[in-house]
This record gives sequence, structure tokens and C-alpha cells, in this order.
Amino acid sequence: MNTATIISEPLLEESRLLPGDLAIWFFIFMELLVFGIAFVSYAVVRVQNVEMFNQYQLTLDRELGAINTLLLITASYFVVRAIHAIRINDVRGCIQWLYASLGCGAGFLLLKSVEYYEKFSEGINLSTNTFYMFYLSLTMFHFLHVILGMIILFAVTIKAQRGGYSAQDHIGIETGASYWHMVDLVWIILFPLVYIIR
Amino acid sequence: MNTMINKPVNVHTLWIAMLLLTMATYAMGELGFSGAAVMLFLLLTAAVKATFIIRDFMELRGVSLLWRVIMYGWLLIVCTAIAITYIISL
Repeated sequence: MNTATIISEPLLEESRLLPGDLAIWFFIFMELLVFGIAFVSYAVVRVQNVEMFNQYQLTLDRELGAINTLLLITASYFVVRAIHAIRINDVRGCIQWLYASLGCGAGFLLLKSVEYYEKFSEGINLSTNTFYMFYLSLTMFHFLHVILGMIILFAVTIKAQRGGYSAQDHIGIETGASYWHMVDLVWIILFPLVYIIR
Repeated sequence: MNTMINKPVNVHTLWIAMLLLTMATYAMGELGFSGAAVMLFLLLTAAVKATFIIRDFMELRGVSLLWRVIMYGWLLIVCTAIAITYIISL
């Protein structure tokens, strides 16, 4: 027993464990793989349709895209603040930061819906052309992930309100936060790729 | 982790830096800049922001090398593949 302790302690010193539940990380890696393939597919297909992609990219609302990027980055930052709060047992602060993050997420969904409404009003859909097929499918797939991230964060917030987390036990918040950061991470690549780079 | 709040380069300054980098990306789009150098700058900007998210927001600094290789490897492969296809299309 003592030998095992001696052997395992230096290993624990060397590297920290992943924050949150390990299972969410396998889910995150899977999601990143899917988004990664989608991003590279967009870039590869663009090579054969450069003029079309450059032309229709200009029809996208860059202002809303940029504001949405700011909202997601801020939503991630607020979740970081929530985790810092729970680590010092500030449950109330943690809940406030989580709600602030959910507010940013809701703002993202609202602005993205406005963007979709504008495009759909112009009669644009998945079959309009290859660029819009990628734009709509990539962003809608991400949109669904924002909704899922918000459901997870909301569930975590409700549990926090019921006193389910403390400085000693907050693995659930870390799990939700890790997924939420993944949603932000994906958008950070998606925004310049689809809206800006030409 | 609270040391991350008190250091000069902390989660607050990284958040502000990411907002500024996003506005720089938007400005490049508004000004209609294009070409290999601009594309590489925009990808590098995105990669820097992604690194801040992975390292400091997801807190992967100091975790097992395997997990970091997966996350940074994903970022490197995606950005490199995008850069290659864009250079081909110039």
C-alpha cells in the first residue's frame, strides 16, 4: 500500500486531471473532430468555387457575426468567473455569473435567428448554392450546440441554486463549462473562416 | 487557479485581448483585405484566441500531454489545412 502511494504521488504532481467529468471530454473530442472535418471540407470545396464563395460571402452580415463572436467569448469568460466563484464557496456569485453567461448565449441565439430570418426572407435555403449550403449547415449545426450548451449550463445553474455545489464539490459546473468553452472554441474558427477570410 | 486572476496576464486581460482580436478580424473584413498575408494573419488571430480558450478558459495548462496534444493538434491541423487550401486557390 505504501509503495503504491509513493509511486502514484509523483505522477499526480506531474500533471493535473482534466477539469470536469472525463466522459464530457470524449464527447468534446468527438464534436471537435466533426467540426474539424466540416471546416476542412468547406475550405477544400471552396478551392473549386473560389469566385462563388467570395461573392456570396459578401452577402453575410459581418456585424452580427462579429457581435456574436464577442457574445460567445464573453459567455465563456463569465463561466470562468462562475468557476472561480464556486472555488471560494461564493455560491451566489457563481449563480449570477452562470445566468450572465446564459444571457450571452440567448443573445447569440437571438442575433443568429435574425440573421437566418433575413436570409430565409430572401428565399435563400440549403439548395440555393454550395456556399449557402455550407454557411447554413455549418452555422445551424453550431446553433444546435449553443442550445445544448445552454441546456447543460441551465441544469447546472438550477443545481447550484439548490445548493448542489460547493468549493469542495463542483465537478458538475466544470463539466458544463468545458462543453460551453468547446462551443466558443468552434465559433472562433468558424467566424473568420465563413465570414471574413477570402 | 485564483493565481490566474491575480497575475498581470490573467483571465480578465485575456478576455479583453480576445475581444480586441475579434474586432481586428471584423475590421479586416470591413476593409475588404484579402491575399495570403491577410489570410495567415486572420488564421493566426483565430489560433491565438483558440489557444487562450484551450489553455486558460478550459484550464488545460498542465494536464497530461496526451490531452494537450489532442486539443492543440486539432487546432494546428484545422488551421494548417485551411491555410493550404486558401494558398492553393490564390
